[in-house]
Amino acid sequence: MAKEKKLREPVNWKKEFHLTPGYIVLALWVLFTFVLIGWVVAASFSTSKEIFSGEVFKFATGLHFENYAKAWSASNVSVFFTNSLVYASISCVLLILVCAPAAYVLSRFTFIGNKIIQSGFVASMGVPATMIVLPLFGLVAGWDVLNVSLANRAVLIFLYVGVNVPYTTIFLLTFFANLSRAYEEAAAIDGCPPMKTFWKIMLPMAQPGIITVTIFNFINVWNEYFMSLIFANSDKVKPVAIGLYGMINSMRYTGDYAGMFASVVIVFLPTFILYIFMSEKIIAGITGGGVKG
Amino acid sequence: MKKNKTMIVTFLAPAVIMFAIIFIYPIIRTVAMSFFKIEGVTDPVSKWEFSGFANYIKLFNTQLFRISMWNIFRIWLLGGIIVMALALLFAVILTSGIRFKSTFRAIIYMPNVVSAVALATMWLQYVFSPKFGLFKSIGDFLHWEWLSKFQWLNPDHLFLALLVAYCFGMVGYHMLIFASGIERISTDYFEAATLDGANKIQQFRYITLPLLKGVLKTNITMWSVSSAGFFLWSQLFSMVVSNTQTITPVVYMYQNIFGAGNSMTERNSGIGAAVGVLLSICVVIIFVVCNKIFKDDDIEF
Repeated sequence: MAKEKKLREPVNWKKEFHLTPGYIVLALWVLFTFVLIGWVVAASFSTSKEIFSGEVFKFATGLHFENYAKAWSASNVSVFFTNSLVYASISCVLLILVCAPAAYVLSRFTFIGNKIIQSGFVASMGVPATMIVLPLFGLVAGWDVLNVSLANRAVLIFLYVGVNVPYTTIFLLTFFANLSRAYEEAAAIDGCPPMKTFWKIMLPMAQPGIITVTIFNFINVWNEYFMSLIFANSDKVKPVAIGLYGMINSMRYTGDYAGMFASVVIVFLPTFILYIFMSEKIIAGITGGGVKG
Repeated sequence: MKKNKTMIVTFLAPAVIMFAIIFIYPIIRTVAMSFFKIEGVTDPVSKWEFSGFANYIKLFNTQLFRISMWNIFRIWLLGGIIVMALALLFAVILTSGIRFKSTFRAIIYMPNVVSAVALATMWLQYVFSPKFGLFKSIGDFLHWEWLSKFQWLNPDHLFLALLVAYCFGMVGYHMLIFASGIERISTDYFEAATLDGANKIQQFRYITLPLLKGVLKTNITMWSVSSAGFFLWSQLFSMVVSNTQTITPVVYMYQNIFGAGNSMTERNSGIGAAVGVLLSICVVIIFVVCNKIFKDDDIEF
């Protein structure tokens, strides 16, 4: 209701006039972003020849959907795409299963080590990946699992989950802390054991927080680069970010620019679409959850 | 109480065990490794050769590493100033009561969400292209010859290109943090200042800025953490291995340990570990200095 009222507010021209410089600055920036993405999308539907003559937006020879078909099947994009989708989905589910109970316990009970675990999690978010990657690689390479693709995939998922455990736990912790204790008390009076209370009552109530943090985790895993580059040993197990890098390198030599931009769009699309539908939730998650001075 | 204990342990165990495997064990081992000469990453501890600070001394005597540290410092400082200034400007505009606020906000933040590989490719292959690039078109359109003729991808200008492209993507995130900080400032302050005759610029200087100290601290810390891990953009922007304009410490370490087909130095994983330790020390120093400078404001808002 409040929103509707705001929209009907008459335009205060004097106020809007004062804000003009602000509008211009933001509009220019936004315009630049639009042209950047719009051009790449347009280029992905045209031909390499049109790209070089600078006539991308004219579509003189029609829309070339075959760029996508070619990128999808010939350049392995389908493999990378499925890999990323599988890694991101499994990691997101595992992260909730691992972190939600931990976050709940940390937010509800006082015990020795509670604060230490929390500060450890917070501190680890500032640790550069270079600090942890060598021993992990030594460990994994020592077991010789990187040559078996299923084991390699498991290693990648384990890493994706592991690096995101601190962030997910801290995010859900603040969420659980804001839920009223009255629910657990009521459940306890009715004879529901605490663990069952968590799975049946508290976890479903944390759904909004779980959705937000899962979106973040999905985006993080989808875009993860450094770890994947080191640990993904063969083309069969590479996620999109690494696959795209390889493709760009090879396409520089083949000169198939249209195909390259088509692969860029394919890689870019999933998180972009997610963002279009969820931008309010994502922005609220950043400004509300993560940052606390 | 007994029941609670088993619940605490079973609920915490998976997360804490994961944390120990992914963070605690590797951090300790990396610190230890940095003091040893280690031929292969997979070598057992028995094969390590204690060398004291030799790895660190060697790093500082390696020109390429010094260049990489200088590059990351420039990215941190110059990029930091540009990003913080733009982010603060956008945040102030967004919170000044303009229309379409959430639309603007969402679009400016968008580059943070999409794959950085895709974003970097767009910049490299399109915006900076000397044949059909966006900057060339803008230069042609405005008859700014310096812009249309500028060779962004020339090795001499690659650092500038990298900086521009990277900053473009980072502004949105820091803008959100600034904007949320500004929104938490009570409007009473501004109303009182307006009544006393302070103009918008004075209000910004004497109310908004001092109250944003804590938020600025968060922003600098986040910026430093992402600078310490600076890798992807550098790797994508250095099309030649020997490019010294865009190399950063993480790239240096990657090339030394995992690098394919270049033998810049002998294989020594201890050096790679030392790079990691140095970067972490930088982050810690910045964090401590920030906490000292922006000593927590007693001002509550």
